Amino acid sequence: MNTSRKSFLTGFLFASPWIIGFLVLGLFPFVMSFYYSMTDYDLFQPPKWVGLDNYIAIFQDENFYKSLKNTLFMAFIAVPINLIACLLVALMLNMKVKGIAIFRTVFYLPSVIPAVAGAMLWSWILNPQYGLLNIILRALGLPDPSWLTDPAFTKPSLILMGFWGAGAGALIFLAALQGVPRMFHEAAEIDGANAWDRFRHITLPALSPVTLFQLIMGLIGAFQIFTESFILMGGSNGGPDQSMLFYAVNVYQEAFSFLHMGYASALAWVLFVIVVLITIVIFKTSMRWVYYGGE
Amino acid sequence: MKIKPWIATIVSVFMLTAVIGCSSSQSGGTDSASQAPNKETSKEKVELNFWYGWAGKEGEAMEGLISEFNQSQDRITVKGLTQGDNQKQMAAITGGNPPDLATNDAANVGAWGSKGAMMALEDLISQNKTDLSDFIPAALDAVKYNGKIYALPVAVHVKMLFYNKDLLKEAGYDAPPKTMAELKVMSEKLTQMNGKSLERVAIPPMLDPFATSFAFGGLFWDDQNKQVTSDNEGIKKAFQYVKGMWSKYDSKELDRFSSALGNYASAQNPFFTGKYAMTIDGEWLPTFIKQYAPNLNYGLTPVPYDESDPGLKDAGQLLTTILYIPRGAKHPQEAYEFMQWLLSKESSVKLMSKIGNLPPRKSAADDPALASVPGFKDFLAYLGGPNIKSFPTLPFGNEYMAEVWKQYDSFLRDKVTLDEALQNIKNQIQPLVAKTMK
Repeated sequence: MNTSRKSFLTGFLFASPWIIGFLVLGLFPFVMSFYYSMTDYDLFQPPKWVGLDNYIAIFQDENFYKSLKNTLFMAFIAVPINLIACLLVALMLNMKVKGIAIFRTVFYLPSVIPAVAGAMLWSWILNPQYGLLNIILRALGLPDPSWLTDPAFTKPSLILMGFWGAGAGALIFLAALQGVPRMFHEAAEIDGANAWDRFRHITLPALSPVTLFQLIMGLIGAFQIFTESFILMGGSNGGPDQSMLFYAVNVYQEAFSFLHMGYASALAWVLFVIVVLITIVIFKTSMRWVYYGGE
Repeated sequence: MKIKPWIATIVSVFMLTAVIGCSSSQSGGTDSASQAPNKETSKEKVELNFWYGWAGKEGEAMEGLISEFNQSQDRITVKGLTQGDNQKQMAAITGGNPPDLATNDAANVGAWGSKGAMMALEDLISQNKTDLSDFIPAALDAVKYNGKIYALPVAVHVKMLFYNKDLLKEAGYDAPPKTMAELKVMSEKLTQMNGKSLERVAIPPMLDPFATSFAFGGLFWDDQNKQVTSDNEGIKKAFQYVKGMWSKYDSKELDRFSSALGNYASAQNPFFTGKYAMTIDGEWLPTFIKQYAPNLNYGLTPVPYDESDPGLKDAGQLLTTILYIPRGAKHPQEAYEFMQWLLSKESSVKLMSKIGNLPPRKSAADDPALASVPGFKDFLAYLGGPNIKSFPTLPFGNEYMAEVWKQYDSFLRDKVTLDEALQNIKNQIQPLVAKTMK
């Protein structure tokens, strides 16, 4: 009894930096933001209780719908496209060619660059007149859109920027690819399956747990997308036709430009609920397409 | 096996939300903490923390003045820090550990002042018998809310029409446009097409909605009746005017031209390369031209005004950088003393000539030290005029300006009609009046 209590205390003590950090920096702000979401709070004056007013106001707010629409676009169009790109890169990096280690490093390299620096760099590449991308497109006789100033092209620009960072996702796929047992491929080959069949019926199912993981991480990332819009559009204004007004950008604008911290907290909670719901739906449906090797 | 990803996801959702939540408040704390251990000065001396928005060379100029002040007397030591981030200032004020003095934008005076984040300066001004009569009236308006002064102007900014003399001459013009009608006619002549694509545009077509509204006599606020006046005739005319220029060309083709992003401070600035024949820009541009395009043959003139009302000649928009004492500052008396010193004509001229911003004082206009800064003579003369206005100081000023930009953009892109755009602004902003102004 005594020793087990002692070891519990010791263990607790060792875990305490994390526990304290979580309570103070995680749970406390979390709970407070829920309280603030029920108040009219401008950061400088004490919050005033308003009940559900903020939540009611959200559903009459044009910027809420606009930002949600933009964010859902990124979540359900950009994330799957990016996943496919990651998978393609991973398949290429899984080939047995000379100098593959160098290729792997090169593809992973962009992931090391901070988002702010990456966004600055891309603002140059995407410049309609002097940017690298349009110079190439013009040389090939292709149309050269105004990437960051035409509302129809701002989000595709972000997808394009996502490809550049595909190395990080590809690395995870690559690890999973190397875990696919050789014997399955060999057996299928003997049975006369061609390369596509083997990819479709062996590789993809074997990768499905990792795909699920990447999909969910990608979705969470998409729902919190902020830096790119903030840097490329020079603030929280959302850019041309508010085409880059993402959910987190709108929350920032409400909280720190307009001083509506209570309302911004309510927005954040609505986002939380949306993300949880989407996650649940994905998990429920995932039973149909995710295969775990252990079963 | 199946439960694991569940837990992982829930935890990661929590964690990511938590990371966003605390990153801002943390960073504010480290700044003030890093300041604390400085104890080289004797105990009787008051140490002031001063956060200013200027960085790099401009920050060095500010440091030069600070050390001059520190040497000029032996009671106060000012410690300067480049920190122009609103969010950090906010966190420091709410956290109860703000600097003694900070710079900010006059656009925040309405909101921050009315909410008590900026100290009202009335008492300090009368105690120290500060003479405010030399400040530019529009700049003084910008730091007042509800009859109280919450800050003092440290620098002002105004935009003028820059024109490429060579390109104007090529098109047969010896002088820049004086009125909006002249600008329109000249624009048509100065814009060059190559087949379907634009080779050169007369002027960036998305003119600033505020400066243009002022040029058409537009007013954004009726203080008497506490009314948002976005449906004002002048604003209507301004929106319509810009639309007239904008819709002459394909919207997509024009978007291509608003591409100065990343190239503004370089030799590739489209005005420097002749892609734009004219541009409306601030007092810092001549310094850039000197640096990046020294051979550009350009001139400066006031923003054109509405020809139907000669009383609007030399209208323009003033932007003001302010100095304020945050709520909870430990040494407001000393902070004010330093502020007064920094805003004196002598220090102001010294600082502005190095930083390249305009001094907020009328008497500085003919100071020889400023005459040597390229373009300043024209800017200072324009600035003193009676038609230079600031956007009204309102507790919801930032919301108001954001909504104007949003509707302006939608109107130019044909998403809404003119009346809808102006009505939308009013519908969005008018309810904030009752909410914030009691």
